Amino acid sequence: MRLFWREQTPLIFMYAGQLLLTVYMCRLSGFRNTFDLAYICIVNTALFSFYLIYRYIRHYRFYRRLTRPLLSIDESAEFIGNAPLADALGHLLQGKYRLYQNDIQQYRKKLNDHITFINQWVHQMKTPLSVMHLAVQNETDPFFDSIREEIDKLRKGLDTVLYTSRLDAFEQDFVAEPVHLHQLVGKVVAEHRNLFIRNKVFPEIQVDERLMVMSDDKWLAFALGQLITNAVRYSAGASSRVLISSEVDGQQVALEIRDNGAGIPKQDIKRVFDAYFTGENGRQFGESTGMGLYLVREIASRLDHHVEIESEQGQGTAVRIWMGIRPYERKNA
Amino acid sequence: MFSILIVEDDLKLAQLLQSYVEKYGFRAEAVKEFDRVMEVFQGIRPDLVLLDVNLPRYDGYYWCRQIRTVSTCPILFISARDGKMEQVMALENGADDYIAKPFDYEVVMAKIKSQLRRAYGSYALSKRERTVECTGLVLYPERLELTLSGKTVDLSHKESLLIETLMENSSKVVSRDYLLDKLWNNQQLVDDNTLNVNITRIRKKLSELGVEEALETVRGAGYKLRPFWREEP
Repeated sequence: MRLFWREQTPLIFMYAGQLLLTVYMCRLSGFRNTFDLAYICIVNTALFSFYLIYRYIRHYRFYRRLTRPLLSIDESAEFIGNAPLADALGHLLQGKYRLYQNDIQQYRKKLNDHITFINQWVHQMKTPLSVMHLAVQNETDPFFDSIREEIDKLRKGLDTVLYTSRLDAFEQDFVAEPVHLHQLVGKVVAEHRNLFIRNKVFPEIQVDERLMVMSDDKWLAFALGQLITNAVRYSAGASSRVLISSEVDGQQVALEIRDNGAGIPKQDIKRVFDAYFTGENGRQFGESTGMGLYLVREIASRLDHHVEIESEQGQGTAVRIWMGIRPYERKNA
Repeated sequence: MFSILIVEDDLKLAQLLQSYVEKYGFRAEAVKEFDRVMEVFQGIRPDLVLLDVNLPRYDGYYWCRQIRTVSTCPILFISARDGKMEQVMALENGADDYIAKPFDYEVVMAKIKSQLRRAYGSYALSKRERTVECTGLVLYPERLELTLSGKTVDLSHKESLLIETLMENSSKVVSRDYLLDKLWNNQQLVDDNTLNVNITRIRKKLSELGVEEALETVRGAGYKLRPFWREEP
């Protein structure tokens, strides 16, 4: 409405000026009937008002479109009236929309192709990795420990790539179901046993064996794996224990991974969940991609869990994942 | 003797699997022409099939369905994909279990054994007891016993695992990390102390058999079992 008035103000002034000029000229030429003059003015003004109202109605959508911000690219293709000006703008916007849609489609296709390629590639890499893994599995010489270490790193790297690219398609790859927490922790710890052994850090598991949580076992296992890797890496040489424990609070359970390692500097702690952030520890310990905790938090938020981190430099770090306990209706089943 | 058919298009992997399976006393055959899987299957009539998902020409699911039309033998899938959908697909197409790459020998072996046990009865497997032998020293892993020239000692499960590994690699250094890894396969937590305690116990049991100082500590590396007890009278 305001835009409409601003648009029409010059015309209104113009009209008022013309009206005054007409009245003045009529006076000059000797036309003295005030009543008639007033009548002419009123009729004219009424016609002019009708014009304005008509125009406002016809251009209502057009003005609304011009004043309201676009909330999505789709809105720019909406119908904005068939008045000539509105129609022309509509065409322009639709043309622009089509161009952008084409662009977006192209990029979307490229991105999808890329994700498919990465996924395929990762799976292809897993076969050579299996071959290497099997080939050195029964080698007892200490030299092969370091080969096994490198194979482990490759495997972990591939998994991170896979899970990162899967994150976008999370909804298709996610099943919330009761997960036996103690079993899951045991499985993940066993998967990382070489990491523990190599770093001479050993786990202590104090998770209630009766606990069932609502989660997705694969994603939760991956997140837990990231946390365990961090805990072990940052406590290697400083401490020999990583404590994995559970704590129940109402309908929630916290799975805590606590180490007594290097800890996180104060200035870094707010940003540890950011993607690609490596911080002081990343520089000091190397091999940090800055993706671990980022992925953990992304996964947690999608699983409806909550992650918190607590750390003091030189004292150690504790990460807690809060999860919903599975409803207890079949507790003894 | 059970025979196992391996359908895996990575030849090295197939070879490694084959030699490992053979070590455990099975007959193993690897398919080499992947458009003739059924003919090979019909020719061998294996007791169990290890089947990869990604194969040239037809995928593993296809071959699984084909095999199912003529046989009910256990079929184990091996695949790089560990998604839920792939596992469901495999089982829906008639597989009995699913192993994701990269896998451990132990896992493959355990799954093979459990499938064979289910399909052909539990006694079929234990007809022949497994033994590990090293210059007269004999280990019976299933009985948890160690024998040398008529004398026998009982072992715990962990001790048996350790001595088995050391005997299989006698005269070679076995790293501490490797031994820890072996123990950990058992799903129980083990740390350095556990290993030390068990090594001490093994030494004691070896000396009960009259073997002294055969289990050598190699500083900074691991342990070495030297089979020089034969030289003693």
